[in-house]
Amino acid sequence: MKALPIAVALLLLLCAAALFADVPVREEQFIYSILAFNGKDYAGTFARQEADTIYLVADVDNFITVRNVFVYFWPITQDWKTDTSVLNVPFEGTLELSGREAEPEMLGMTPYTYYNIRGEYELNWKVAKEAEAEAAWQHYQELMDAYWQSVSDYYEKRAMYEAMLNQLTITITKMRDQGKDVSALIDTLRELKAPPEPQYPTEYIVPPVPVQKAFILNLPVGEYQIRFFTKEGQIMERSERRIVAFEKRRAEAIGLEVIPGDKWTRPVESKTPASVLYIDGSTDLYLRPFYQQEYNDLFYEKMRKNDAKGNPTLMKWVRIQQVPKARVEVTGPSSEAQMVLEEPFYVEQVKGAALGYQIVPFDPEGKHKDREPSLQAFHVPISKDQRVIRLRVQDKEGRYLPSGERQIRVITPSRLGIVSLILAACPLIAMIIVMARRSRRYTS
Amino acid sequence: MNQRAHATSVLAKRRIFETLIGPGFYVAQTIGLVLAYLLVAGFVRAIDSSGFSYGLNPAYELIGRSLVGAFGATFVEKLFSEGPFLFTLYIAFLPVLLYLAVSSVFRFGLEKKVGALELLTYGPADSTSYFLAALIKDILMTAIYLVVLLVFLLIAAVLNNLILGPSFYYSLIILFFLSIAIYAYGIFASSLTDNSASAIAVFLGLILFFIIIMMGSFTVVSGYVRNLASVFAWIIKWISPLFYWDLALRFVEVGHWGMYFIGVLLLLVLSAVILFISHLTMKARGVRS
Repeated sequence: MKALPIAVALLLLLCAAALFADVPVREEQFIYSILAFNGKDYAGTFARQEADTIYLVADVDNFITVRNVFVYFWPITQDWKTDTSVLNVPFEGTLELSGREAEPEMLGMTPYTYYNIRGEYELNWKVAKEAEAEAAWQHYQELMDAYWQSVSDYYEKRAMYEAMLNQLTITITKMRDQGKDVSALIDTLRELKAPPEPQYPTEYIVPPVPVQKAFILNLPVGEYQIRFFTKEGQIMERSERRIVAFEKRRAEAIGLEVIPGDKWTRPVESKTPASVLYIDGSTDLYLRPFYQQEYNDLFYEKMRKNDAKGNPTLMKWVRIQQVPKARVEVTGPSSEAQMVLEEPFYVEQVKGAALGYQIVPFDPEGKHKDREPSLQAFHVPISKDQRVIRLRVQDKEGRYLPSGERQIRVITPSRLGIVSLILAACPLIAMIIVMARRSRRYTS
Repeated sequence: MNQRAHATSVLAKRRIFETLIGPGFYVAQTIGLVLAYLLVAGFVRAIDSSGFSYGLNPAYELIGRSLVGAFGATFVEKLFSEGPFLFTLYIAFLPVLLYLAVSSVFRFGLEKKVGALELLTYGPADSTSYFLAALIKDILMTAIYLVVLLVFLLIAAVLNNLILGPSFYYSLIILFFLSIAIYAYGIFASSLTDNSASAIAVFLGLILFFIIIMMGSFTVVSGYVRNLASVFAWIIKWISPLFYWDLALRFVEVGHWGMYFIGVLLLLVLSAVILFISHLTMKARGVRS
């Protein structure tokens, strides 16, 4: 009889456990917060207590801070996250950096900011430190203040313009009603111009961040050890970490972003220089060549996200930036080489109830007036009759770029595939012949 | 020396003849080629407007997911970047490699056990000429199969408008030399043991051990375990044929042809060293089980 209440109590406990199972356990941890340069931009990650190694690209500025935060595992995305809303205590102190042979070096925290200025290439990252950082931030603030001032002036002028427009319209209407001559007023109305809208500052692709302090690590390739000393000169418990500074193995190779006409939201990338693009030929392709660099897979993944996985024995190509003003030479199996230039395109929804869209040339004067193109790409028409299309990417001076060659092969299901299966059975046929001959020899 | 060479030649011819009149080699070849056919056909069916997507074919989805789980997405991306043939080459080669290696190991153990080897050594042959004959047979059969496989895949490529790709050819060459080292380890396992079962167990154990060491280097572990594993792997890798295979392929990927051929040469040196150790073992242990 006692068993029933115990069973009920256990069941209730199980239900309670299930109710609270979704809440991840948050644990206070000392972490290294890392803002690392990944070859194309700066991205943040963190090294929790269990992570014994921090991975950084060599010979570039990387920023590291130390803090106490809540850390938890988020099972939905299968990764570790920080909860800084409740606990975020940054520490100030010094970082001891020791290499394999060199004497340990004590690093202090340095004020810094970083930004990307507009240029011909996308990669124009600058890091400003100390007074230079303050100056860069000040310059940006002044630029933005001036912009907001011009926005304010614009709205003032716009209001005056609209008031004047309104007043003139009312006057003209009244005068017309009274049968008076309004031609002078109409001329005034025509000459009235709306004030120009101020342009957002275009100096930066990524504006400077507010000046903050961090340990700046710009290390040659190698392995290092770090540990954190508090302001009082005490070693922070469990602050020892290994740092792996790594570099790219190869650079300036060309990758291709391939956008199929029917899947423009799902582009694929052709990165390996010897790779072949096999397609079914059902739609045209839109290409975008980019420069890429080759890094160790594990190191690169861990640099982007410290708890990520990777393969330490493989190298991977990483997209860095688009090739500016490139040209693509397209050669068909029986046609002469054609030069394809980058063009703007617009993505239109397919008319009717069916889902889908089509990519059409951008028409800025016609039906796409006052709109922005959806993509800038090189259009390569594809048909099922073409079996092989060869591509060669050129730079703006017309030079062929290294590893900028690719093949597109149109694959259509072949009835001749069965021939392969018959060929696969050939050794069996040979076996039967050999065995039959031997059997005949011994029986005769 | 001449006597040993002559005995090796006679025994090798006999072994080759026996392999050619038996069904095993043909069955193993057929299994390899059918696997190759299925993989190429599956690849063709997994192509849509944006290229190869393993999710489009159930068999490839299973293969793709397993490989991504074990070796990472970059590995799979590289494996299929030139088409299906690199993966197909390794899968289609496995049945014949296993058949030749295991059958030689089994026969060595069996003939040792029943005293056939002892009987041979009373005549002009010795244990070294015996295992060299087995090795020559395995090398020749491997070369024949690789040529058959190459022709088959070339035909499959032409029929489906695919190409074999440079990585395929590099792998094809190195695979031949890798198989020589594996056969040498088979002989070594046979020289250490007294019967077929233990010879096969030692041989498969050794190969599995090398595979685990190789795969262990792909896996990320941390702290003490990583240091221990890396030191252990560093010691073991010098006797692993898979290490030289991997080394050669890595160098040729960045265009270091010289290092690729050094990798090939090192595989041959490793095979020679293993065979020499087997020779010494047989000398010390004798041919009686």
